[in-house]
Amino acid sequence: MNLMLQIWAGYARLTRRWPGFAAIIPFIPVLALWTAVSEAGLFPRAFFPGPADVLRAFVTLTYKGILPDYLQDSLIRLATGAAVGMALGIPLGILIGTSRWAHRICWPVLLFFQAIGDIAWLPILLIWFGFGLTTMTFVIVYTVLFPVVLNTVLGVGSVPRDLSRAALSLGASRARVLWEVTLPAALPNIITGLRNGLGYGWRALIAVEMIVGTSGIGFMMFDARRAGSTVEIILGMIILGLLWYIVDAWILAPLERATGQRWGLVTS
Amino acid sequence: MKTLSLRNLGKTYFDPYAGAHVTAVHDVSLDVEPGEFISVVGPSGCGKTTILNMIAGFIPYSKGDILLDGKPVHGPGPERGVVFQSFALFPWKTVLDNVGFGPKMRGVPKAERDRIAREYLALAGLSHAAHRYPNELSGGMQQRVGVVRALANNPDVLLMDEPFASVDAQTRMTLQEELTRIWQERKPTVIFITHDVPEAVFLANRVVVLSKGRVLDQIAVDLPRPRVWDELVKDDQFKQLSARVLQMVRAA
Repeated sequence: MNLMLQIWAGYARLTRRWPGFAAIIPFIPVLALWTAVSEAGLFPRAFFPGPADVLRAFVTLTYKGILPDYLQDSLIRLATGAAVGMALGIPLGILIGTSRWAHRICWPVLLFFQAIGDIAWLPILLIWFGFGLTTMTFVIVYTVLFPVVLNTVLGVGSVPRDLSRAALSLGASRARVLWEVTLPAALPNIITGLRNGLGYGWRALIAVEMIVGTSGIGFMMFDARRAGSTVEIILGMIILGLLWYIVDAWILAPLERATGQRWGLVTS
Repeated sequence: MKTLSLRNLGKTYFDPYAGAHVTAVHDVSLDVEPGEFISVVGPSGCGKTTILNMIAGFIPYSKGDILLDGKPVHGPGPERGVVFQSFALFPWKTVLDNVGFGPKMRGVPKAERDRIAREYLALAGLSHAAHRYPNELSGGMQQRVGVVRALANNPDVLLMDEPFASVDAQTRMTLQEELTRIWQERKPTVIFITHDVPEAVFLANRVVVLSKGRVLDQIAVDLPRPRVWDELVKDDQFKQLSARVLQMVRAA
């Protein structure tokens, strides 16, 4: 009993000092199970590699420079798509959120196109733009766009009426109200939209890279299938999860907290 | 400072749920002199908030005129400052930036508007809270910020819509005393909406009693200032005035 308490206290101290540990510890049993299954030899090694094999592949591919290059390609595509998606989505969301007419006209169209998933666009995109960057960017932008627009509309719609009124009666013009009140009030929602959008976009990107790709993590994984290299496929999967964890937990979630919670807009 | 006049003001709107036109304000005429403190009381549904929203320019009026120094007003404007029941502070701005918002909209440079904001924060005893965010303050402190934010913009008329309704009873008394003190120092023209009769009498020079969208009566309050609750609760004149107004409101 005493020992358990000591372990718990040790864990609490450790994770307070390095919060990253709290995220790593739950993976220890997963890794142990994986090692046990692969070491037990239930499946052929080439079919079901162990953590050590994957780590070795990681070192080799990094050393050769393939992995860093592909990773860079994927991240740049995601960043480009996200930037364009936000540049289109935030103004569109504000327009739909503030204008009743824009809402009436755009909302049904928006919902219609939201239903046509990103991948469902691929056949026609491949005919129009071929196997290239345009097709990939289109899909990412498309995926990022909807969560950003919908959450921006939600955010703009939930701006307390008295806040806009207060700004107007303090001498703000309509344009200033948009900049000084509507945008900051909607910001936590916009960031939530971005967070969702990037999450979907990251998944869509990998799918598109598999089909369209000439490089990127998705391409690496699909290419490894041709060579029957399970090690590289699993490595790709791990990288996807890891990278998203880093982006979401270390960048997006703190950003969301920094805006919403500090202002008391989100009750934590 | 300018005179505010309401001339046969009326508000009728269409209620789609009732399927009929509803008249919230029938016919209200009222003149407010510069530096006057007017309380408007009445039972709920008497149209007092509607009148304030029309003066503030948040909603259009259906008939009559609202004149500020003889000129009709339409839409919100900085010459009519508003203090809201919901405080309506900008949560992403510090207290200092909230109070400096009006001057910022006028294009006052940063250093100057900070100076103005600090002056007004000192007036409300809030100098220590300048760099805090609204959600870090108590309700009473938030509304103090709300009041000085409106004052810092030097409005011709200060419109207050049940501003102390959502703070606790003790804080409310303190805020009322502070408001009378600030009013004496700065002499802004105030229209104060409330359903709390003692509050209305305590604060005002003149109490306007509304009923069903009409002015029922106006009562002059010439109690001496500064007004302090400890003294006024024992004051016969205050008690008589309050009783008289209360009777009118309840009969309304």
